[in-house]
Formats: sequence, structure tokens, C-alpha cells
Amino acid sequence: MSDKNELLLKLTDVSKHFAGLVAVDKVNIGVRKNTIHSLIGPNGAGKTTTVNLITGVLPLTSGTVEFMGEKINGLKTYQIARKGIGRTFQNIKVFETMTLLENVMVGGHQLTKMGVLNTIFNFRGTAKEDKLLKEKAEYLLDKLGMYHLRNHTMKNLPYGRQKISEIARAMMTDPKLILLDEPAAGLNPSERAELVAVIQKSHEEGMTFLLIEHNMDVVMNVSDDISVLSFGRLIAKGEPNAIKNNDEVITAYLGSAFVKDQSEEKNQP
Amino acid sequence: MKMKNNMKRLVISLVIAIVVALLPIAVNNDYWTVVFVRVMLNIIVALGLNFITGLIGQMNLGMAGIYALGAYSSALLVQYTGCSPWLGLVGALVMGLIIGLVLGYPSLRLKGVYLSLTTIGFTQIVTLFLNNMTGFTGGSQGVKEIPNYNLFGFPINSYLRSYYLYAIFAVIAFFIAQRIIKSKWGRLFRSLRDNVDAVEMTGVNIASAKIKAFTISAIFGCIAGALYAHFYGYINPSNYTLDMSMNYVLMLLVGGLGSAPGAIVGACVVTILPEPLRGLGDYYLIVFYGIIFIGILLFPNGWIDAFSRGGRFLYQKVTGKKLAAQETADTNKTEGGGRKP
Repeated sequence: MSDKNELLLKLTDVSKHFAGLVAVDKVNIGVRKNTIHSLIGPNGAGKTTTVNLITGVLPLTSGTVEFMGEKINGLKTYQIARKGIGRTFQNIKVFETMTLLENVMVGGHQLTKMGVLNTIFNFRGTAKEDKLLKEKAEYLLDKLGMYHLRNHTMKNLPYGRQKISEIARAMMTDPKLILLDEPAAGLNPSERAELVAVIQKSHEEGMTFLLIEHNMDVVMNVSDDISVLSFGRLIAKGEPNAIKNNDEVITAYLGSAFVKDQSEEKNQP
Repeated sequence: MKMKNNMKRLVISLVIAIVVALLPIAVNNDYWTVVFVRVMLNIIVALGLNFITGLIGQMNLGMAGIYALGAYSSALLVQYTGCSPWLGLVGALVMGLIIGLVLGYPSLRLKGVYLSLTTIGFTQIVTLFLNNMTGFTGGSQGVKEIPNYNLFGFPINSYLRSYYLYAIFAVIAFFIAQRIIKSKWGRLFRSLRDNVDAVEMTGVNIASAKIKAFTISAIFGCIAGALYAHFYGYINPSNYTLDMSMNYVLMLLVGGLGSAPGAIVGACVVTILPEPLRGLGDYYLIVFYGIIFIGILLFPNGWIDAFSRGGRFLYQKVTGKKLAAQETADTNKTEGGGRKP
């Protein structure tokens, strides 16, 4: 059994300044293994910037990011991805002229070994490698309930499916941690429910998630831990119930209406 | 289904092979044989350019410069060392590797019109270099008396022989291009065209992937350049102009971006079509570009797409059955979506 207290990702005093603007200010976050850790906060709180700092898209101004005990800040994005960090994007980034299956298969490219020359001349090896990639992608699509859509061109798929396909593509890289950047944004309630089911199922199978999300239903339903950012500062962290009852968070982010709804729900027989 | 598709491919390949083999004999005209040789050379270049412009979507307007360096590296190697033209071809291949690195590097930071300008600049630098290094390259006088190829004691010294040899090269180039396009590398290159950030987040080194595509492209261009030099026996820097680079891009636009058969169709159309129009004198280019323009408007996905649609339509009319590709296209339409928030 894995130890849930073991930190997979650790941000220590992470800061990011854009000229005079402090986007992220000495943030400390620890993502425990096999948990769903949510990062919440209003627009402009620095959530996506934090994800970009973790994935090496932006360089840190100060602080350190450690993944599985190894310092990863300063590495390039693809090197960080190879360490075992997958990611989805706030504004979906899919390969829209390609099929769903191809989109997911691209996720496994890095795990294959054959170079260009080998691909040209080694017929058997290429076929074997491609078969393995295809089988793995089909398995993941089946798990996420999208196998029947595998031959559809990406741009023809509904938005919700495209969002979930990003998770499949990230999973194809055999990650240990997946960063989900506002996965529920723009989804309708049924698509959102499907997304939550996908996240929960993958979590049950041992996947660790860092979830950046606005939708409080999703966050409160799936999270083990929550960190709250405001104007780049970490103002609270803890379990969902503790966050729910944190006065500062209630006032600033969740809104009193949400808490009231929750308490009414609890009081119902 | 797979066997049926293989059978279909075999029949199409056989028909094409017979047409290619009999064409110059049937035409029996030196002028047209030379045109067909040019078609084969252009097919190789277009197949190469397809990796950068068709698959990755980077506009490379430096193909003329690459072609020139391929031609000169082979011609000069043979002239200075007296080695076999086949070794010259290896020299052109090495030149392609070097260009891939040199030209591939700026493509990592530049996109769109900036990369186009850089590649145009590359061709200008190459022609200036070839024009001004008189002692080494022959300057504007070019390189003369470049020997023909010799295949196991069989000299390739006629138009017809060259045509068949170059047709074999074009077939090999097509085979290699098709192998790459259909493989994980082709998939990766296409994904780079759609979204670089998403690819990088899967752990792929984008710089390395782009340089690979540029290198393959440059090797194809350099090989074609070398074949050109040893066919005409004379090269000079004025042959390698921006017009030439634009024509290669036009071939891809006409045939269909990202497709190897499309590159072949484009190379055939853009090389052959002007010939029957030359009778129009000064107006032939207007008519030629008019036809090309209308063709691009009518078939935005290339003539190869129009051909395959036509083929499917005929197949359906004759047999009353739909092809697997058609069924997939139909199901794609029914899913609906593409909704954005």
C-alpha cells in the first residue's frame, strides 16, 4: 500500500514576479501521493501561473519545486513531463485535425524507442510498436468511455469529450501526477458528472491529481486536500471541511450562499 | 477489409507503375521526356517539403537554396576529387543533414512570416555565396561538364535512361515519405502543426522533433539537387530563385498539404500544366496561375482529395457499396459538437 502522507510534489516558497506584479508570492504546497489536491481561488489568484511554474512553462523568480524528492525547477517542460507529470489545459489544447485515437496515441510517443531511420526500414518493429501504442490508447479510451468515438476527428467531438481526451492523452504518458487546469470549465452538468467520475475512477486506481478548479461542487466532491490562493498568496490549506469552514475562504471565495446550501443539505433528514 | 484495401492499393500501384513505365515510350519525344524527368525531381523535393510545410505547418521558402546546395555539393565533390557521382550523392545527403541543423534551429523560435523571411534569406545567402566564391564554385559561370551517373557499367547518358533512374528515386522517396507519414513520426509532426504546447507536455523535445523534420526535408531537397546536376551536366546560381521555392509550396497547395500522394499530384500538375499552355506566348503564366487559383478554390484540401472523393463516388455508383473511409466520414458528421464555451 502506498503511503498517503508521502509528498509527491512539494512547492517551497515559490514566487513569480512579472516586473512589478507579484503573481505568486512565497507559496508552499505539498501534494500527497494518491490524493486529489485542489488549488482554488478567484480569477487572477495565480492558479494557472502556479501550474505553469510547476511544469516549467514559466521560470520561477524564487523558491523550489520538488517532484518525488527531486528538484525540478529549472528543467524544461518536456523534461518535467518525462519525470512523470502530465497536464491538461484551461483552454483545451488538442490536435483538432487528428482523430481522437491519434490524439491519445501522441501522448505515448515519448515512451517509444524507434528513431526515424528505424521506422523507415524496420517494418516488424514499427508495426509492433504502433500496435502497442494503439492498444494502450484504446484501453484508456475504453476506460474513459470514449472507445466508440476513437475514429472521430477531434474538432467534430463535443467540448466535454475533447476535455476528457486531454486526460486520456496525459495518462498515455504514464504519469505519476496529473495537473488538471480547470477541467470543468465550459462543461454542462452531465459532462461535469462524467468528468468527476473519470477523475474519481483514476484516483481509485492510484493516480494523483492537482486540480485547479472554480466549480465548488467538483472541488468539494473529489478533493482530499485543498489549497486556496488569493492575489498570489496561499491563504488557507487543509481538508475540504476545514476549508468550507474557514471564514476568510468563505467570504472571499466560496460565498456564504454555498455554505448555507451545504448546511441545509446536511440538516435534511 | 484489410486484404481488400491491400488489393486495391496493389491494383492502383500496378496501374501507376505501368503508366510511368510506358509514358516516355508512348510520347517518344525528348522534350517531354525531359519534362517528365523534371516531374520526378520535383516529386522528390515536394515530398521533402511536405514534412515541414505540409505536416508541421511551417512555411519554408528556402527549398531553392537547399536544392542549390545539394546540386553544388555533389557537382563540386565529383569535380574536385574525381570520385563517382554516387559518392557525390552521399555528399549531397551529408549536406542535407548539415542544412537540417542550420535551418532547423531558427525554426524553433520563428513562426509564420518570420520563418518564411528567414528561409528566403537563406536562399539569397546561398546564391550570393555561389556567385561570389568564384574560385571555388565557378561563380556566375557555374559548374560545367558534370558527369552522368553510371549504374554497374551502364551509363545513364540519355534522357530516357535518366527518366527511369529518376523514377526509381522518386518511388524510393515516396516509399520513405509514406513510411514516415504513416508512422508515429508523421503523427507527431501533424500534432506539432495543431498544438506545440500540448505535444511538449507529453515529454517530447519539440526542438529535436522540428530539427528532424527539417533534416528529412533538406535531405530530400539535396538529393533532388544532386540528381538535377548530374542530369543537366551544368549548374549555375541563377537557376535557384524565390520563384522556384514558391513553386514547391504551390505543388503542396495544389496536391494537398500533408499527403505524400498529394505532393506527387501537385508536382505533376505544376510541372506539366505550363507545357501545353506555352503556345499562348506571354499569356501562358496568367492562364496557368488562373487554373491553379481556381483549382485551390474548388479543392481547398488539394487535388488528391478531389481525386479520392471522385474515386469513392464512382466506386459507390458502380458497386452500390460505401468504402470504409466514407463510412467513417459519415459517422464523423453525425456526432455534432465542436462546441466551445
